[in-house]
Amino acid sequence: MLHLEEMPQRVKAFFEKVEPTWKNVSVEKYEVMTGGYSRLLARADVAHDGVVSTFVLRGDPPADKSLLYTSRVQEYELLRTVGDAGVRTPHAVYFDATGEDLGTLAIVMDFSQSTSFLPYVAAGNSIDGLNIRLAEAIASYQSIPISALPASMERPASWDAYMTKRINSWREASNNHVESLPVFHYVAEWLDAHRPPPAPLVLMHGDFQCANVMVTADGHIEVIDWELAGIGDPREDIGYFKAVSQASPPDLLGDDGIEGFCARYRELTGLNELQVNPATVAYFLVLGVVGTVEQLMQGGAAWAKGENHLFNSVFNLSSVLFGQSMWLDFLGQLSEPMKQIAAAANGGK
Amino acid sequence: MFSRPTTEQLLAGIAEELRTVVASEVQTETTKIMLQQIDQILMGCSRRAAHEIAWVHEEAEKIGALTGKPIGKPASLHLEDVLAWYHQVSSLLSDEVGAAFRSGDQGRIDAVKEVLDARSAIEMQVLGALELVGRG
Repeated sequence: MLHLEEMPQRVKAFFEKVEPTWKNVSVEKYEVMTGGYSRLLARADVAHDGVVSTFVLRGDPPADKSLLYTSRVQEYELLRTVGDAGVRTPHAVYFDATGEDLGTLAIVMDFSQSTSFLPYVAAGNSIDGLNIRLAEAIASYQSIPISALPASMERPASWDAYMTKRINSWREASNNHVESLPVFHYVAEWLDAHRPPPAPLVLMHGDFQCANVMVTADGHIEVIDWELAGIGDPREDIGYFKAVSQASPPDLLGDDGIEGFCARYRELTGLNELQVNPATVAYFLVLGVVGTVEQLMQGGAAWAKGENHLFNSVFNLSSVLFGQSMWLDFLGQLSEPMKQIAAAANGGK
Repeated sequence: MFSRPTTEQLLAGIAEELRTVVASEVQTETTKIMLQQIDQILMGCSRRAAHEIAWVHEEAEKIGALTGKPIGKPASLHLEDVLAWYHQVSSLLSDEVGAAFRSGDQGRIDAVKEVLDARSAIEMQVLGALELVGRG
């Protein structure tokens, strides 16, 4: 996908194959896009029958340039599912399942006309009300029945089993790394000792952060990049969004936005105030990042051992360093509120 | 060997040249982003180079005092040996974290947290300001 001299011809041949009724297919423009840390991204303007359609190609990088190892097949199936359910996300239209046509396994999606969140903010647009739109966006994909999700997605046996596995991921991330990481062990022990009230398992985006949301022309939130999606606790994506916003403001779930967000989210999902409140969101701010942290640590370890040469693998370790400081700080502040929530959930004070 | 300019100075100097001279010549967006990432990494390397071995020893002493276990010493002051030793000492701290929580002794947990906070403060010093260049 990075070979600019051959890709226009490949793209043209691909569209002639998947859309045999299109006439006079040509590729007006093909350019590599920035923004994807783990996948190759490119934009193609494809002309046919007198119209020009713009698509985004999202494909796997070469093995030695790969930061994350995730399934394009599952991602494509999920994109179709969430798109059909009415979730605001760019529609996945085609899939090169073998890589024979586009040079690598690649999903071809409609090009979104929405504005990425951070540039939207940088341009001076108002963020008033976006915390409410954020609640609606999260609730929209979490309302999809688990039975409708791709069969390849792992179904946890129970909420407790899921949480135990998730918390243990922190220990494993340290044990599997090239050096021992005591902060990860502390995080695991603390999370285990302060579990929140349970909630029904749902579709989880897995990398729900400001870089993966866009703002539509009518002010709604569009969600992109589903490659880390799974089935898990509904509060994880919320916590993860807040976690990344700490490092890359503005935080829609900051002091001004969190209560309104929680109220709208509870209204849409039926969860109660003990399950969804600023403290449980903060709990999942820490727990919710473990999937990404694991992947980033694996990338960093592989780079240290000379097994991959993707510079992002090194750069991304900076995010984990920043995160460690934030997690320690948050856990210190959360101990008492989480104890109070647990006591209230158990019927006492 | 020439010891000055120091490694800290050299790496900071390279970062400065990349930032002020090379960056303006770069045309593609992807390469510009990579250059900004390289700048952040180089500045972190610069800060680490000046203090890394001392920081590791200082933290190891705290871990030894916390756990009451012998921490030994590195086979040499060559960085690879120091870091292999640091990994062993860090494993003692990781074990102590689990033991502290299992004991339920809040004072023991707080003592662990204090060492971890100090470790994190050093890491933030290395990191400097985090800018997630290339996202969004």
